[in-house]
Amino acid sequence: MTKVTIPALTWLYKLAAMFPRKLTTSIVAALCLCFIFTSLSPIALAQKKTAPVEATPPPVNEQFKFGEVDLEILNQADLLDVRLQRDGLVLADEATNSYLYRVGKSLIPKGLTLERVNWTFRALRDPQPNAFALPNGSIYVTTGLMALIDNESQLAAVLAHELTHVMRRHTYLQNRSLRKKFLTINVMAAVGSMAPLSVVGAVIMAVTTVAPFIMIATIYGYSRDLEREADLKGIDMMISAEYAPEEMVNVMKLLDKDIEGENIRLFYNDHPALDERIKYMSSYLGGRADKVTHQMELNRERAAYFRNIESVMRHDIQLAINAGRARSAVYLAQRLVDFQADSENLFWLAESYRALGPRTQQLTEKELTNSAKKDASKKRERRTIEEEERELLATPAGQENSQKHQQMAEDLYKRALNAENPVPVVHRGLGMLYEKLGRGSDAAAEYEKYLELSPAAIDRGRIQRRIEALKEKQK
Amino acid sequence: MSGRAFMLALVVLLTASGSHSVRGQFLHPKIKSKETTIRSVVVMPAKVNVVRDSMKGPEGMAAESDDLSARVETMLTEVLLKQKHVKAVPTTAPSADGDPQQKYNVADFQTKFDALLPKIIKKRSDVKKGRFTMGDEVLNLNLDKDTDAVVFIRGEGKKLSSGKTAFTLLVGGVPAYLRLQIGIVDARNGEVLLYTDPILAGDPTTAVDRLRKALEKGFKKLPEVKAQ
Repeated sequence: MTKVTIPALTWLYKLAAMFPRKLTTSIVAALCLCFIFTSLSPIALAQKKTAPVEATPPPVNEQFKFGEVDLEILNQADLLDVRLQRDGLVLADEATNSYLYRVGKSLIPKGLTLERVNWTFRALRDPQPNAFALPNGSIYVTTGLMALIDNESQLAAVLAHELTHVMRRHTYLQNRSLRKKFLTINVMAAVGSMAPLSVVGAVIMAVTTVAPFIMIATIYGYSRDLEREADLKGIDMMISAEYAPEEMVNVMKLLDKDIEGENIRLFYNDHPALDERIKYMSSYLGGRADKVTHQMELNRERAAYFRNIESVMRHDIQLAINAGRARSAVYLAQRLVDFQADSENLFWLAESYRALGPRTQQLTEKELTNSAKKDASKKRERRTIEEEERELLATPAGQENSQKHQQMAEDLYKRALNAENPVPVVHRGLGMLYEKLGRGSDAAAEYEKYLELSPAAIDRGRIQRRIEALKEKQK
Repeated sequence: MSGRAFMLALVVLLTASGSHSVRGQFLHPKIKSKETTIRSVVVMPAKVNVVRDSMKGPEGMAAESDDLSARVETMLTEVLLKQKHVKAVPTTAPSADGDPQQKYNVADFQTKFDALLPKIIKKRSDVKKGRFTMGDEVLNLNLDKDTDAVVFIRGEGKKLSSGKTAFTLLVGGVPAYLRLQIGIVDARNGEVLLYTDPILAGDPTTAVDRLRKALEKGFKKLPEVKAQ
């Protein structure tokens, strides 16, 4: 957006005062339109897109000095840490958080100390793939992202990117820039209100209404240039820590996988598009071909990574099912079973298929178009998960899917029971499946087996009540 | 212009009604027919967020939001007891260093309400048809057997800086406000029994009497528990 300074406004009014009222309005209108269209012109936008980015900036922004506004942001970040912890959103698994810390710490240049930064790395209980950094040095990676990525190098890529945001003080810089933008919008609104019934007022009011939206779009991430800097600096950090740098590109490709059909492109977004990021990172990596890692090595790394985060993956599958993201749950559980087909992993795949119900396992090409995704998003806002299922079950395709997935779930539950060291929770899953299929006595029997094998289960009360209700029905 | 006229109308309405109003109260048919009576409730930790809107954009108020959340929780408990004789039983929600599984259960149930809330807001009157439920996962909270319902409180508010207040008076815009969204859910089967969304005008961080009055109005339709 264009920056308007107060002296510029004073000058504008002095100029306007020299002309009659009607002419004044026209001049103000013309000047405001110039402001708007200069910043939105293709040349301005093209210049913004191709702004030169220093390939290897120093790891730390040494010129940065803390101001009052920055300290306020820092305070908010500390409070956010407390809130996330208090609200049960941080995964309370010491092994996982230590693992994240080990990988993250290995990326930070040796001996580096930053003013008002205390590095912490935590897993956040959220099935949406995402990661973010707070300016106080708290780095969060969601279980959804940890479960999606393939190996430790990809995890290092995510952390290196976030670490750069902290080291280069991107949050503070972005906040300062946003504050200037907001001031501009308020000033423009004031100019508009001087002639509310003229063209000037209408145009500026329209921009003021749209502009916060544009700004919210930038809040979803840092500016294009800052993101680019974090991508490229992240690659450098990965090379220094001896991680496979090309995995930065592969993790972007993974993020582009839209299993749930929710990545809707907005008409304006300051974030570089994923394909654009893949392009410039690949070209940056081109000059470092000697660093490319052998596939065999990556496969070994993948197995080690899965062993490290297997419990996080299972936890995330449960979260995905709770959030109605059954397609993601099936995708992630299948990866787990491919890695190790033990009783617990088979149980989670069965649970995912049971949750999938009448839905298709994959979205069609038509369903992945932007307009179809927008329609689906509107429907999601309106309907509950149960209503969506009822609607789908009213169609022949939905009934067919439901039958197929219920059969798959039953087979998988049975395989889980026949595997070595079967987990008791499989009986609960079978009970729920049979209850849905109307097999009341089978369901009650499975629930009873579950409670017999897990007398201290946290959901004992809930299952007990289901048994009572089923027995009541049978009378 | 229509947006500004709407805000003006809202300010006038709020002023006329003593700076607080209730946009609607919706009761499940089971409550209306007295098939279900709410005698005791567990109030889940409130999530009320306020921002300070200045000329340089909105700024977070995390500490003030936490204070306000606690105040709304306490006040709601008092209003329910005093006005409706509904007792609030202490939650079995775990402390920060408690059992993580129990803590996750509470967090996941709160998340489930957050996911359901936009659908309720979209068609609040459907609460009267008994359309919304959170399922029997509510039993995983392992609440006291005498608990009839669980109360969820959400809210958002805006405090204006002095510059922004002057600016709003001159140019127009949204004044300072607090809007609460309160849902009461059956502790045995997860059905949404009541939804109300009181709103009050003015600085939300300092509102005490206005908040109490808004809450009292918000539960006007909830049947009173007769003393035994």
